[in-house]
Amino acid sequence: MNMDIFLTAEQIKRHAEFQDFAASNVEPFAYKWDRAQQIPDSAVSQLGAAGYLGANIPCEFGGRGWDVVTFGLLHEALGRSDSAFTGILTVQSMISAALLKWGTAEQRGKWLGPLAKGEIIGAFALTEPGTGSDLQSMATEFRRNDRTGGLVLNGEKKWISNGQKAGVFLVFGMLDRQPLACLVPRESDGFEIEPIDNMLGFRAAGLARLRFHEVPIPATNIVGKPGFALSHIAPIGLQYGRISTACSALGLLRACFEESTRYAASRKVSGQNLGDIGMIQSLIANMGTNLEAAKLLCWNACRAEDDHLPETFTTSMIAKYFASRAAVQAASDAVQIHGASGCHESSPVARFYRGAKITEIIEGTTQVHEFILGKTFVHNAIGDQRRQRPNPGV
Amino acid sequence: MNDSKNVKDIVRNFINNSINIDALGDDEDLFETGLINSLFAVQLMTFVERKFGVEIGGDDLHIDNFKSVSATAAFVVRKSSGQVA
Repeated sequence: MNMDIFLTAEQIKRHAEFQDFAASNVEPFAYKWDRAQQIPDSAVSQLGAAGYLGANIPCEFGGRGWDVVTFGLLHEALGRSDSAFTGILTVQSMISAALLKWGTAEQRGKWLGPLAKGEIIGAFALTEPGTGSDLQSMATEFRRNDRTGGLVLNGEKKWISNGQKAGVFLVFGMLDRQPLACLVPRESDGFEIEPIDNMLGFRAAGLARLRFHEVPIPATNIVGKPGFALSHIAPIGLQYGRISTACSALGLLRACFEESTRYAASRKVSGQNLGDIGMIQSLIANMGTNLEAAKLLCWNACRAEDDHLPETFTTSMIAKYFASRAAVQAASDAVQIHGASGCHESSPVARFYRGAKITEIIEGTTQVHEFILGKTFVHNAIGDQRRQRPNPGV
Repeated sequence: MNDSKNVKDIVRNFINNSINIDALGDDEDLFETGLINSLFAVQLMTFVERKFGVEIGGDDLHIDNFKSVSATAAFVVRKSSGQVA
């Protein structure tokens, strides 16, 4: 597809730069990082030096201040090489977006600069051992400390991306039965971080389990107000998380398509190219069509966020829902096309296969998206019928 | 400057269209009736910001600012005139 139709010259130029960065600094190392289940600090520093960790942070705070379409192109280009590596950017953008929107002037001044430059890595601590999508049931608790005027934090979080590297965590819990979000620095007393290894995919994403035992939290670390953490604070972060994940899945989908078509064009079977076989063509046709559809949905979601449209939350869900499912299908088909060689861990498509599944889980599972989108579409239809109904009073 | 009645009409229209109920009273509590979920809460916030050119920040997070059509409209008028919410 000719992207010139949908993107500006500046966006196309940046996308080429992002792809060059990924080809030089990510792609050659992705297999090694996956095996080591770790991304070296030097690679994260390169992200910071390039300004990518501050892609969505305004220039006044030391970020790049790029539009959301450019932000999406960055995540697509890196997602083409390594989903786990892109996950660092995903989470950094989530905590940055939440702070930018809801942080106090002091919090923005203190944290956004270091986050933009990669001097500190952030984590978004929402999920708990017993609470995934059902966020209202969070057991993590804040209680007031009358002596200090601050809070005390107790509880556990699990599956927290960037947890192994993060210097600051946006932690969600309950205060007097009201959801609350607070910034918790890594060095806080009573805060333990336990690495989680051996994940199916995103193995280098630095997942961790967090334990808070009587952690003192100064009142100045509260983000927003009690009662709004799940209705307003988290959704702003998750919005960037969904856009990032959708675009990263789009990159992974492109990776599957490019690897599959290249292999199908060169692999010989009974004297003909693999790609000349109808059943293989069918898999590739489906992959390529989904790739084009996912592109349109992703750029549409990015543009809705750029235009600050109320429907931006729905369009990002649609993009994430479609792109992640299409990535899973494409990765499965890419392994199928590659045969035995695609089943070995050294094959990129084997890594894509494991990574694709994770995109269906993070930032809201496919089923949560189906629940919300299905309800929204039916709800809209009811509204349309109501508006078309003649008013009996007239 | 955002006129109070005009703002209320626009907010009411957006909420009515979004939550699909026939007769929402201007002072009806959106939270108590369970009509607000997190998706709609941020959609309403984004609509208000875009439509009326105001920016909602952490200091504005009070239930009283968004609990009804009247409350949201009053908040927009106060915010537009530069008053602290």
